[in-house]
Amino acid sequence: MNKNNIKIVESYANIKGRSLWIDARRRLFQNKAALISLFLLFFISFLSFFGPFFLQYNFSDTDWNSIYYPPSLDNGHFLGTDSNGRDLLVRILYGGRLSLSIGIIATLVSVFIGVIYGTVAGYFGGKIDIFMMRIVEILYAMPYLIFVIILMVVFGRNIYFLFLAIGAVEWLTMARIVRGQTISLKEKEFVETSKALGQSNFMIILKHIIPNLAGPIIVYITLMVPSVIILESFLSFLGLGVQEPLTSWGVLISEGSREMETAWWLLIFPGLFMTITLASLNFIGDGLRDAIDPKEY
Amino acid sequence: MIKFITKRILIAIPTLLIIIAFGFSMMRVAPGGPFTNERALPPEIERNINEAYNLDKPVYEQFYIYIKNLSKGDFGPSFKYKDFTVKELIISGLPVSVTLGLSAIIISLFVGSILGVIAAINRNTFFDYSVMGVSLVGICVPSFVMAPLLSLFFSLYLGILPTSGWNNGNLLNLILPVTALSLPQIAVISRMMRASTIEILNSNFVRTAKSKGLNQSYIIRKHVIRASILPIIEYLAPASAGLMTGSIIIEQIFGLPGIGRYFVVGALQRDYTLVSGVLILYASLLIFLILITDIIRAVLDPRVKI
Repeated sequence: MNKNNIKIVESYANIKGRSLWIDARRRLFQNKAALISLFLLFFISFLSFFGPFFLQYNFSDTDWNSIYYPPSLDNGHFLGTDSNGRDLLVRILYGGRLSLSIGIIATLVSVFIGVIYGTVAGYFGGKIDIFMMRIVEILYAMPYLIFVIILMVVFGRNIYFLFLAIGAVEWLTMARIVRGQTISLKEKEFVETSKALGQSNFMIILKHIIPNLAGPIIVYITLMVPSVIILESFLSFLGLGVQEPLTSWGVLISEGSREMETAWWLLIFPGLFMTITLASLNFIGDGLRDAIDPKEY
Repeated sequence: MIKFITKRILIAIPTLLIIIAFGFSMMRVAPGGPFTNERALPPEIERNINEAYNLDKPVYEQFYIYIKNLSKGDFGPSFKYKDFTVKELIISGLPVSVTLGLSAIIISLFVGSILGVIAAINRNTFFDYSVMGVSLVGICVPSFVMAPLLSLFFSLYLGILPTSGWNNGNLLNLILPVTALSLPQIAVISRMMRASTIEILNSNFVRTAKSKGLNQSYIIRKHVIRASILPIIEYLAPASAGLMTGSIIIEQIFGLPGIGRYFVVGALQRDYTLVSGVLILYASLLIFLILITDIIRAVLDPRVKI
C-alpha cells in the first residue's frame, strides 16, 4: 500500500469530529444577547442561593429603627426596608430562591409528564394517539390559570402542591411537541433496526426516541421556566401562592404595589430582579433554539 | 364546511361537559364546604338544609339538576355573598369585564398588527428595532409589574389619570387598565405579525404582484396583510385566554368591580359555587372562541383541510 495514503489516513484519525452539541455550543456563544443573559442568569441564581449567607440581616429579621428606610449604603440596607423594617435585598434573594426553584422543579415535573405522554402517543399512534391527543385538546380549552387557582383553593395553599399544580397544567404543549417529533423519529432506520433486533418498545422509547428529542426539549425548558415563574408570581400576587413568612418575587411585588406611594423601592427592585431573570431566560431560549436548530430561521 | 363545523361542535360539547363535571365535583369534594363551619345543627334542620340544596339525592341526580339549572343560566346561590345568587354577581360584574376585555382585544389586535406590518416593511431600520425592543419589554415585564408601574408614573407622579376605581366606565379610568392588559398581547401580536409579514413579503405571489407593477401600498393591503394575518387569527383564542386571566389581576390592581375580582374573592374565601360558576363561564367563552377561530381560519385559508 502506498505509504502516503497511510499517512493521510492516520492524519484523519487526529481530526476531532465536531458533534452536534459542540456546534450548537459554538453558535450559542456567538450570540451576544444569549451569552450576556447566561451570565446574568448565573449571577442572579448564584446571588439568590449564596448571597444571603454574606449579608448581615436575615429575611425575617425586623429592624424597628429603620422602617421604610430608603436604599442606602450606610447601614447595610442596600435596597431599603419594608413596612416591618425587614431588609429588602435579603428578601429579594430569598424570594429568588423560591421563584427559581419553583420555576425549575415545576418545569421538570411538566417535562416529565409531557415527554412520557407525548412519546407514548406518538410512538404507538393509531387509536391510542387519537384518544390521548383528544384529551390534550380538551385540556387546552381550559383557562388553565383559573384551573390552577381552583386546584390551589381545593387542596389548600401548600407550596409543594403549588409545584405539582403548575407542573400539571404546563405539560400540554410539551406533549404536543414531543408527539410531533416522535412521529417523525419512529420511521427512522435506527428505530427499525432496534425493532428487528427484538428490542422492546419501552427500551426503544428510552434509548432511541428520547435522546433524539433532547434538542427541542432543552429549548422548550428554557422557554417554560419563565412562564412558570410568572404563573407562580401571579398566584402569589393574588394571595393564593406562597404564604408568609416565606416569600417569592410575586409576594414582594404584590406588597410593593400596595405600598408604592410611600416606598417606591419595594416595587421597583423586586420587579427589576424578576424582569431581568425573565428576559435572560427568553434570550437564552431564543439563542438555544437558533443554536440547536439553525435551519428554522 | 357544515361537516367541519359539526365535527368541531362535537368536540366542544364533551369538553364543556368535562369542565362542568370538574366544577361540580369540586363543589362536592372540596373541604370546608358551606355548612361545615357552623355549629352542630339539630338533625331536622340539617335534613331541611340537605333537602333545600338537593344534597339528599344521589350524586348523578344532583349533577343532572346542576346541568339543568346551568342551561337556564342558574349557577346556584353564592356561599359567601349571602342574599346573592352567582348569576346576580356575574351579571353585576359583566359590564366591567366585557368593556375591559373587548377594548383590550381590539386595541391589541389593531396596534399589534399595524406595528408588526410596519416593522416588517421597514426591516432593520430604527423603527423596526424600537418596536421589537418595546415588544420585548412587553413580553418580559409581567402585567402585575407593569400595571403598578403605570399607575405609579401616570397617577401618582404626573397626576393626570386616576389610580383606580370604575367610576361608571369613565374613559379616563379605563386608560390605564386597558393599557396594562393589552401591552403583553400587543408585544406578542406585533412579533408574530412581523415574522409572518416578512415571510409573505418573500413569497412568490408578492413577487408576481410587484412585477405586474402594482404600487406598494396596494400590494401590502390586498396581498400581504390578507395572508399574514392568518397566524394572528389562530392566536386569537390563546390571546383571549391570556386577557381573561390577565383581567383577573388587572381588576384586582385597579379596583375594578368585574368578574375577575369576584373570582379572586371567591377563591380566597372558598366560595365554591361562585368559583365554579366563573370557571364554567370562562371555559365556555374560550371553547366558543376556539370554535369561531377554527371556522374563520377554514373560511380564510383554503389550505386548511375541512
